[in-house]
Amino acid sequence: MARTDLSVVRKPIEQAQGLPNAHYIDADVFEEEKHAVLFSSWAGLAVAADVPQIGDAKPIEFLGIPLLLVRDRDNAVRVFQNSCRHRGMILVSEPKKIEGAIRCPYHSWCYSTAGKLVSTPHVGGAGLNTHPAINKDELGLTEVRSHIYFDTVFINVDGKADPFDVVHADLMDRWREFDQPLHHGGPESHFDLEVQTNWKLAVENYCESYHLPWVHPGLNSYSRLEDHYHIQAQGKYSGQGTLVYQQLKGPDEAVFPDFQALDAKWNTGAEYIAIYPNVLLGAQRDHCFAIILQPDTQGRTTEHIHLYYAQPKTSEDMRTRNAHLWKTVFEEDIFVVEGMQKGRQSPLFDGGRFSPAMDGPTHNFHDWVAGKVQDHRARQDT
Amino acid sequence: MTDLNDAILAAHARDDGRALVTLYAQAADQSRDVDTACFFLTCAYIYALELGVPDAAALYARLDAHGRV
Repeated sequence: MARTDLSVVRKPIEQAQGLPNAHYIDADVFEEEKHAVLFSSWAGLAVAADVPQIGDAKPIEFLGIPLLLVRDRDNAVRVFQNSCRHRGMILVSEPKKIEGAIRCPYHSWCYSTAGKLVSTPHVGGAGLNTHPAINKDELGLTEVRSHIYFDTVFINVDGKADPFDVVHADLMDRWREFDQPLHHGGPESHFDLEVQTNWKLAVENYCESYHLPWVHPGLNSYSRLEDHYHIQAQGKYSGQGTLVYQQLKGPDEAVFPDFQALDAKWNTGAEYIAIYPNVLLGAQRDHCFAIILQPDTQGRTTEHIHLYYAQPKTSEDMRTRNAHLWKTVFEEDIFVVEGMQKGRQSPLFDGGRFSPAMDGPTHNFHDWVAGKVQDHRARQDT
Repeated sequence: MTDLNDAILAAHARDDGRALVTLYAQAADQSRDVDTACFFLTCAYIYALELGVPDAAALYARLDAHGRV
């Protein structure tokens, strides 16, 4: 595979161009980025609310890898490879409640929800359930490194990234006020959008405010472009903030309850940050959201959107209205990310030029992706 | 064993794990030798383990008594 030239991407924003077309439309580059960008960092997989009860198990395929999300008996959320240590059979094929053990449907090897191999029936012959060559302590489920932040389950597939709370120490500090219970709004607070675009374009669109007046004109009456500011941490995350957040009002001017003990800046402030590579978070005084971008192919992405509140019991009607409002906003972005994807079929498109004033958060992301790919290539060359 | 065999097959057909625990334990009780009994005990134990029912501990103990776990 011919390697793309990323040197121009990494130049200062005034001279830089965006990632080459191949990073959006080429299957081989998608495969390269899978290892270089998505497996080597802390990627979003799911939300802990996907397995709300002890014993809940949900199979999830992540870039071709069959994974199993489980809430174990100690209430810890874990991620395993969803294959038996015996013959590699898929263990769980549908979301289910694990009442006791995870039993492989093939030869019935059984695992605890913490991944320990607990029984190997007939492994030594009929009615003989042990064999000297089979050490159960060495054959637990293969666990994938995971970390939960903002209820989002992040995974590091290659196991080599620095710990999540080291990589994202500054973000966790920036939003430490939100380090309090987030209550998922329930079924009406979760929706998925399937979009015909490369996952990176969804990140790029999310983290900049430049497009707001044109794509979301409904914001212009109360949340103008000049009310927004850039957020960017090189090599980690970027996004935007607003100074004029307005709460959703219900009957009799009712609002959602606030998170506790927030600084006054959050009275009218809100921040929207893309944690690289594929998680988009929103923080507001009365609700938050997490969007997991699931890269399906180089040209298709599924967005999993979850809304959270400060209290477990809020108005169902208002939650439904709020989800509808956000869905409308996110759907307004679809033609943009799909249009940029189509635009990258133009063979002479050169990655595009950035506005030094407005595209800093986007260039920050391009620079990070390019750096990860370059690091990956350097490791391959050695 | 024919009736019991039919009952076991029927329980498998309706994916009734709780019944399989009971029926395989009965099959073990009716077995004439230790090896056959342990085969059925193993089946009962595995379904009990999967379901997380209390029977699992007693079934494990029976297998353990024969050095099978």
